[in-house]
Amino acid sequence: MVNFLSYTCIVVGLVFWYWGTWPLLGQRSVLYKLHGLSVADTLGSMAIIVGLLLRIPQEWPLLVLALISLAIWNTVLGYVLAYCSTEDRGYDG
Amino acid sequence: MAGYLNLILRLTIWFLLTDDLSWANILIGVTVSLLLPRGATNPGTLKDWLRTLWEVVVAIPQAYKEAFEIMIWPHRHEVVTVDLAKPRRSPGLLFLDIFLITFTPKTIVQRYREQGWYEVHRIQREEVP
Amino acid sequence: MTLVLIAMIGALLIPMIEALRDDDIWQRMLAFASIATKTSVMILVIALLQDDRMMALVGVIILSVGNAALMLLAQIIRRVNDVMEG
Repeated sequence: MVNFLSYTCIVVGLVFWYWGTWPLLGQRSVLYKLHGLSVADTLGSMAIIVGLLLRIPQEWPLLVLALISLAIWNTVLGYVLAYCSTEDRGYDG
Repeated sequence: MAGYLNLILRLTIWFLLTDDLSWANILIGVTVSLLLPRGATNPGTLKDWLRTLWEVVVAIPQAYKEAFEIMIWPHRHEVVTVDLAKPRRSPGLLFLDIFLITFTPKTIVQRYREQGWYEVHRIQREEVP
Repeated sequence: MTLVLIAMIGALLIPMIEALRDDDIWQRMLAFASIATKTSVMILVIALLQDDRMMALVGVIILSVGNAALMLLAQIIRRVNDVMEG
């Protein structure tokens, strides 16, 4: 049962990876691709690590730390990339 | 009171990384996290922190829900909207607010303005004039 | 689990192709960010499959510091662009 759940999580994560990374090859704007990457790299990788956590519960401290750092760093990197890649149009005069 | 949250955060990372609850390790962890400099001068109230941390917990299932939504129905249109930030936020709470918005796949904070609002980039299913 | 690993390598190829193909610096940065996350998750998967705690530790450390370099790089590129244009 746990094995099945863990495989489900990993497969869901892989589907997220492929779905979110695929738009990188297209000709959309950087920000649009960033939405896809936030699905793939943050949520997909988190699903994969939860899958691993179910398989190998004795390593939980490391995996929980991995989950936390994944969520925080990827999100903040998304924000930094969005901030840096757009021009400051200077609304605030 | 909210100053302790900083300490708790450091200790949590330390214990998760070392996975060791012996006395020596606890002593090292506590000493180092007390010695590291603390930057926040205006930590905000504990109530604000607890509410925001709870919102982070709620945001995780919300993020997965949005991920499935944009997978099932393609969202092809991009818009930039302006959202008001909550007033009188400390830097730590602002960071968590931006984190919350950017964490959900449909929205990304593009820029934060000093006057207290965000530029948020969204994707949508239908074109909005 | 070997199949999972092969699928992961397949997913890793997509951002690599993009990084090689596109000349726009921000599209490349996106691809690099994607590669960084994917490789460190792969390190974790391999480490836990082989039951190697040290490797898992390395994977977690890469996960928690690796993206910082990309953020600094993004800031530098933005500054350089500003200087070149202005």
